[in-house]
Amino acid sequence: MTTMKIIPACRLLIAGLCVAAAVGCGKTPPAYFRPNMVEATKQRLTADQEKQVATILLAMFGTPDDPVCLPETGLDEAKLRLAAGPVRSDIVGRKNGLYREHCAHCHGVTGDALGPTAAFLNPYPRDYRPGVFKFKSTERADKPTHADLVRLLHNGVPGTSMPSFALLPAVQVEALVEYVKYLSMRGETELALMRAFFELDDDAQGKLPETREFLVDETLSPVAEKWRAAADAQIQVPPMPADIDMVASIAKGRELFYGDKANCVKCHGVTGLGDGQANDYDDWNKAIVEIGKELASGTTKAREASTAGMSPEELSEHRAQLAWLDKFGKVLDGDALEPRTIPPRNLRHGIYRGGRRPIDLYYRIHAGINGAPMPAAKGTVPPEDIWHIVNYIRSLPYGLDGELGADKPMLARDRF
Amino acid sequence: MKSPVFLSCVAAMLLLSEGVRADEWGTIKGRFVFKGDAPAAVELKADKDVEVCGREKLFAEELVVGADKGIRNVVIFVRDKGVKVNPEVEKATKAKPVEIDNKGCRFEPHVVFVQTGQQLVIKNSDTVGHNSNVTPLKNSPTNSLIPAGGSSPVTFSSEEPLPAGVSCNIHPWMKAWVVVRGNPYAAVTKPDGSFEIQGVPVGDIELQLWHEKAGNLADVSTAQGKADKKGRLKVKVAAAGTDLGEIPVEAAAFKK
Repeated sequence: MTTMKIIPACRLLIAGLCVAAAVGCGKTPPAYFRPNMVEATKQRLTADQEKQVATILLAMFGTPDDPVCLPETGLDEAKLRLAAGPVRSDIVGRKNGLYREHCAHCHGVTGDALGPTAAFLNPYPRDYRPGVFKFKSTERADKPTHADLVRLLHNGVPGTSMPSFALLPAVQVEALVEYVKYLSMRGETELALMRAFFELDDDAQGKLPETREFLVDETLSPVAEKWRAAADAQIQVPPMPADIDMVASIAKGRELFYGDKANCVKCHGVTGLGDGQANDYDDWNKAIVEIGKELASGTTKAREASTAGMSPEELSEHRAQLAWLDKFGKVLDGDALEPRTIPPRNLRHGIYRGGRRPIDLYYRIHAGINGAPMPAAKGTVPPEDIWHIVNYIRSLPYGLDGELGADKPMLARDRF
Repeated sequence: MKSPVFLSCVAAMLLLSEGVRADEWGTIKGRFVFKGDAPAAVELKADKDVEVCGREKLFAEELVVGADKGIRNVVIFVRDKGVKVNPEVEKATKAKPVEIDNKGCRFEPHVVFVQTGQQLVIKNSDTVGHNSNVTPLKNSPTNSLIPAGGSSPVTFSSEEPLPAGVSCNIHPWMKAWVVVRGNPYAAVTKPDGSFEIQGVPVGDIELQLWHEKAGNLADVSTAQGKADKKGRLKVKVAAAGTDLGEIPVEAAAFKK
């Protein structure tokens, strides 16, 4: 009998606390991961399907304040906890909530590159969710190694808004790298889940199987495995010959730059100013451009359609299409930034986003740049020739060669 | 005269042929036709490497309708994951690598079908350099430089739910598609809009119908019934062959 009385009292108390937590004492509501609405809308997911993805992700990855990582991810939960949550100090005075302190304002709490400052930056911050990273020591489609991300945080990305975090203690950089991997794995899993609806058979009735086999073995593990494999996928770079004749190497590199094989000139321009092919997009922006096109033509088509001769079935379909177009327009307004073209790098600046060491340039040329139009020279240009191109490119900012030689000085304002 | 050796030979032959008996497999065929006035070919303007790319006229290839109204480059493939595979058909389709050529600053052919594990060779017969940016959903993306006269091999380990795009970043008008399936049951329509998939196991099967411009061919009617909203069509394969007949696709479907 006593327990019977206690339970309702408890419930009341809990309910009261919940209300207090929700209304708060001037506190902000807990942070949440934003669903990938662009993909959800593109895949025409129903509200129930969106909810199913959210529920699965909550179980597999937790919340921004309380991250979960399944052993299959290979992630270190202690590191994640240091980076996750609001900015605060723990009981021993250690700084917690590092991601929100240093990264979230641009990369967003979700890692979707939709933080409050993102729209003001050029280039836009990286969206981790597709799991595509540019500056690394691995082959084009591979993930970056742990050391690649640590170096990137240490150096920042020159020529962009990404600063250096070299002043942070190593343990904090480690925590942030782990957290970026976590957000990327979560985002990639979300994409895979949303795309899986299309492949369902009719008898699944539009619901993803909530089995360990599907969720972990078929969906999460392949993503995690790519991260694990990165450590062994580093590009083997034969060292540049120590006795190389630099003048001859630069001349050879110039020949390759303008030649038909390496074909650098097509995009980076005859001047090396990055003024060749200039109307291309990177993969992140291209996705939005393509959706925009589909939306525009879909709207024209829907407007042109006359409802007069439609059967009730066709009419309801027509209305559903209009509702989808309307929703997509709103989703793009809120969840996508205005697409921008990607200019090929101006090689006269001497600013290299992925690092200025000769080996960094070697990696870029060998593997290309994932997510960007830059193709891989691997297999086409032999390693010693890649070294010649590296040497030529490194000579470009100093006007030693090319169309803009030292004898043709250039005004600073023309260098952009 | 019937020696035991002869008898066991006959028995062995019977056993061997058990797996590939002719009456267990059927052919699916049909022809896609454009309903309405065939759209005029849109000419493209080559603004890069004009001396090579401008030599011959380039046309948009996202929708190609022949004089006989046949729709070229419609993709048809069997969806069923565990579909029984005819070893002979598999061997024949996988016998040699599939090729895409960069020729006259366009991809030839525009749509290809390759099986998982089979090599796709992207070559370049042009005198200018190209690159081939392959963007699949399930497999790793690749983007290799392909110099004049060069080639680059690509293999896919997983099936793709929809065709993967191939583009050239140097010549942005260039586009091709790769259908990647784990079995030999896929086809791309010929210039007259017809297709044929051979050696499909007899019985119920589900096809996916796709076109570059229209996407999944929803609601198209065939001699075997109507495709659903996702462009899927349930078909009964008969040993005598299954003809889907003339499959009309409304002009409106391509107004995407």
